[in-house]
Amino acid sequence: MEVIKTDVAIVGAGGAGLRAAIAVAEADPSIEIALISKVYPMRSHTCAAEGGAAGVIESDDSLEYHFNDTVQGGDWLTDQDAVELFVNTIPKELTQMEHWGCPWSRKENGDVAVRPFGGMKIMRTWFAADKTGFHMLHTLFQTSLQFPSIKRYDEFFSTDLMVDNGRCTGVTAIEMRSGQMRLFQAKAVILCTGGAGRIYPFTTNGAIKTGDGWGMAYRAGVPLKDMEFVQYHPTGLPGSGILLTEGCRGEGGILVNKDGYRYLQDYGMGPPDPWPRLKAMELGPRDRLSQAFWHEQKKGNTIPTQWGDVVHLDMRHLGEAKIDERLPLVRDLASSYVGTDPVTSLVPVRPVVHYMMGGIHTDIDAATPLPGLYAAGECACVSINGANRLGSNSLGELLVFGARAGRHAVEYVRSAPEPNAAALEKQGAEAQKRITDLFTRTDGTERVAVLRREMNDAMEEGCGIYRDANTTKMSCDKTTELRQRFKRINLEDKSNVYNTDLFQCLELGNMLDCAETIAQSAFQRQESRGSHQRLDFEARDDSKYLKHSMAAYNGDDPPKIDYLDVVITKSQPAERVYGGEQK
Amino acid sequence: MSRNPYVRKMSKTTWFLTHGRYRSYILHELSSFFVAIYTGILIMGLLRLGSGPEEWAGWLEGVTSPAGIVFHLLAFAFAIIHTVSWFKVVPQAMRIQRGEDFVPGQLLVRAHYGVLAGVSVVVLILAGIA
Amino acid sequence: MSTREITLKVLRYRPEVDSKPFFQTYEKVPCEEEWVVLDALNYIKDEIDRTLSFRWSCHMFVCGSCGMVINGEPKLSCKAFLRDYGKKITVEPLANFPIERDLVVVIDDFVEKLLSVKPWVIPKVKKSLDDGAYNQTPAQLKSFKQYSMCINCLLCYSACPQYGLDNSFVGPASLALAHRYNMDSRDVGRKAREDVVASAEGIWECSFVGACSQVCPKDVDPAGAIQQIKITSAIDYVMSMVPGGK
Repeated sequence: MEVIKTDVAIVGAGGAGLRAAIAVAEADPSIEIALISKVYPMRSHTCAAEGGAAGVIESDDSLEYHFNDTVQGGDWLTDQDAVELFVNTIPKELTQMEHWGCPWSRKENGDVAVRPFGGMKIMRTWFAADKTGFHMLHTLFQTSLQFPSIKRYDEFFSTDLMVDNGRCTGVTAIEMRSGQMRLFQAKAVILCTGGAGRIYPFTTNGAIKTGDGWGMAYRAGVPLKDMEFVQYHPTGLPGSGILLTEGCRGEGGILVNKDGYRYLQDYGMGPPDPWPRLKAMELGPRDRLSQAFWHEQKKGNTIPTQWGDVVHLDMRHLGEAKIDERLPLVRDLASSYVGTDPVTSLVPVRPVVHYMMGGIHTDIDAATPLPGLYAAGECACVSINGANRLGSNSLGELLVFGARAGRHAVEYVRSAPEPNAAALEKQGAEAQKRITDLFTRTDGTERVAVLRREMNDAMEEGCGIYRDANTTKMSCDKTTELRQRFKRINLEDKSNVYNTDLFQCLELGNMLDCAETIAQSAFQRQESRGSHQRLDFEARDDSKYLKHSMAAYNGDDPPKIDYLDVVITKSQPAERVYGGEQK
Repeated sequence: MSRNPYVRKMSKTTWFLTHGRYRSYILHELSSFFVAIYTGILIMGLLRLGSGPEEWAGWLEGVTSPAGIVFHLLAFAFAIIHTVSWFKVVPQAMRIQRGEDFVPGQLLVRAHYGVLAGVSVVVLILAGIA
Repeated sequence: MSTREITLKVLRYRPEVDSKPFFQTYEKVPCEEEWVVLDALNYIKDEIDRTLSFRWSCHMFVCGSCGMVINGEPKLSCKAFLRDYGKKITVEPLANFPIERDLVVVIDDFVEKLLSVKPWVIPKVKKSLDDGAYNQTPAQLKSFKQYSMCINCLLCYSACPQYGLDNSFVGPASLALAHRYNMDSRDVGRKAREDVVASAEGIWECSFVGACSQVCPKDVDPAGAIQQIKITSAIDYVMSMVPGGK
C-alpha cells in the first residue's frame, strides 16, 4: 500500500477542517498538512448553514450575556470552561473571517451587521444574507489555497484510524477515483467530519453527513459523548427536509397553527406581543419550539399535507424587499420545493433533524483522550452545546475549535516521535483486508438501502423529539440487530473506480455504530433535558444526570455508557425561562 | 491502475449547431461579417468619389443593381440582428452603480436605442432625407 | 401522494469494462410528483441498479455537487423538477470534462484554474485582528456580492464552447471569482491576478457567447464579469500608452 507521510492529517475539509489547516499552516509553514476529504472542500456541508454566527460585537452586549445564553440554552449540560473560552474567542475569529474576505452583511455605516437569533438575549449573529455557511466555507477554502503546506487529498474516503502504542499515528483512506487505499502516516490526526443527520429519515443534512469520523474514533476506543442529544430544527420544509433558517424568525417571521394562532404562547414562550422580542415566542430555543410542534400535533392543531403534518411560517409582513435582501435563498427554496412564495403565502414547515450536539469527546484544546487525535466542529463534543445548541453557535464553534485543534496539533507534533512504520503497515493491511473482504465475500444477503431505511425508521420512531423507555429500547434492539445484519452486507458493485456502492456501504456501517450509541445513551438517561425529552421521566434530574453520557465501543455488543461530570464554573443550574416580559 | 477517464471532444466544425444558444451566437457573429462587407463597400464608394465622376457612377450603378439592392437589404437585416443582440447584453458588460443600487439594465438598453435613434435622425437630416 | 412513471436515459461509462460511454435506459421509474431528477437517480441507485454512480450531497442548490446535463442542458439535478419535464428524461455527465465514471467527471482542471487566479483577499497592508473589521459599506459589498455567489458547480464550464474547444481557457467561474476579489474594497490584488486573468487564455479567450450566464443556477453572470474585466483591462492598456498615464 502506498504510504503518504505527513505531519498533520486532517480528515474532513469543511469549515472546521479548513480552519484547522490554515491554523497549522500559519503557525509553522514547515509542518506538512494532508487535508483529506471524501468530497471537494466546497461541497462540505458547512455550505448549507444559512443563518449566521454569533459573536459579541455590539456595545449593549457582553461576553457574559453570550455565556449565559449558551449555558442556559444547553440546559446546563455545557462545560462552562469551554463556553467561556468560546464566547471570548469568537469575535476575533469572526473578524479574522472578515479580513479573509467573508462578505458579511453590513450596516449603513459600513460596520458588520447583526441579526437576532433564537435563545439569544442580544442581537449578536453575524450573517451573510441567508448563506452564511456557504460564504464562510468558500472564504476558508479560497484562503487556504494560498498556503503551499496544505496538500489536499480531495475525494479520499477515510476508513480507519491507525493507533500504535496508545497514540494516533495516521489514517487509511481510499482514493475514490481509483479505489486504491493509501496509508497516511501522521504524527497527529484531526477529525473534522461533521455530524450524522443521515441516521434519521427526515433531515436538513446532506448525503455526506454519515458520522464517518465518529465511527472511526469510536472504533479506535475514543468515547462518544452526549449522543442522545439530537437537535430538531423547527422549520424544515416538509417532504425534502430542506432547512429554512432561523433567520426567517430572526427577521420577524412567525409560526401559526391551523387556526392562524401563534401557538408558542401556550408553551411558556409568550406573551406574543410586543413583537419581535428576543428570547421569546419564535425566538425561543430550537428544542422548545420543536417540542411545541409535537404537542400541537397531538392536539390536532397542525395542518395535514401530502408530506405529513405542518404548521405555517408567516413572513408576508416582512415585505418583498427585506425578504430579497435578507432571505433570498429561503424564497428560492420555498418557491421551488413547496410552491409557496414567502412574500405572498404561508410556508408549510415542520421540525427536522438538524444537528448532533454529541460527538467525539474532546477537552477545550480539541484533544481527544487518544494522544495525537484531535476533533473539532460538529463531529466533536467539547462541549459548548450541552443538551441543546443555540442557533448560530455552531459556525462559531467550528472556527474557534478548528483553529484550536490546529494550533494544539502543531505543539504536539513538535515533540511527537516518528510513528512506527512497521506497526502502521500491519494496521494498514488490516484496514485493507476489511475492504477486500467486502469485495470477495460470496455470502452477502443484506442490501444497503434496506438496512439504511430500517435504521432511519427505527431512529425516528424511537429517538425522536419525545422518547420513552419503550421507544428507545426498540431503537437499541433494532440498531444492535442491524449491526449484526450489516456483517452480511452484499456489495453489488465490485468495481474500483468511483464505486459509490462501496462508499454508501462504509457510510452505513459508520451510521449504524453511531445510531446504536444514540439509542443506548437515550435509553439510559432517565430524565428530560434540552433536546432529550423522556415522556416517562419528564423532569430534569440534576442529582443523577448533571453529567455527560460517554459511550465506549464494545465490539459487537452495545456500547458501555459511563458518565462524566459537567464542568460548572460560574453558572449554577437553574430553571430555563423564556418568554415573559424580559427584554 | 484501473482509471481510464473518457474524453469527449467537441466538434470544431459543427459545435455551433448543437444548441439554440450557440446558433444565436453564431448568427450574431455572422451578422458582423455582413456589417463589415457593407462598411467595405461604403469606404470603396468614398474612394471612388475621390477618383472622379465616372468611377463614382460605376460604383453607384453597382450598388443600385438588383444584386446590390438584395445585398443591402440583407446587410440591413443583419445590421439589425447585430444591433439587437449587442444591445441585449449591454447590461452585463456595463454595470453602473449609483449609491447602493445598480442602474437598471433595461434603462441602459433603452438609452442605447435612444442614442441610436438620435444619431440616425442626425444622419438622415444631414443627408437631406428627413 | 401522486406518482408518475418516467423513463430515464442515462449515459453510463464504466472505465473498467467499457471502451466508450453508452446510454442505459431505466424504464418505468416510479417517481413522486414533486421529485427532482436527483431523487429519481437515487431511486434507481437504491432499488434498481447499485452500480450507477453520481455525486450529490446537499439537495438544496448550494453544495454544487450534482451538476449534470439534463435533456441537453447543464443543470443542478437537485433543481431539475420532474414537473418541468416529460415522461422521458436524458441525463448525461457535464460536458467538457473527462468522464471518470457514469455521471462523475474529472474536475482537476477547474481546481487548478481556480488556484491560478489567486481567489483570496490580497490586502494593501495586513490588518491586525485587534484593529477590528474593515469598514465596507452596503454599496461596496453589493459591487462584488453577485460574483461571490458561485458554488463551483461547473455548469458554466459545461456550457462554454470556448472551454470545450480549448481547455487552456481559464474559464467562466474562475474569472468571475477573480473579478469578485478585484471588486472587493478590501483587496488590492488586481495587478497580481492580471498575468493570468488578462492574458490570452484569460478574459481575451472569451468571445462572449454568454452561455455561462444563461445556465448559472446562482445568477452569478460570469460573462458579465469577464466583459467588465475586459473594459478595465483595455483602459489600463490605453492609459499605459498615454504619456503621464500609468
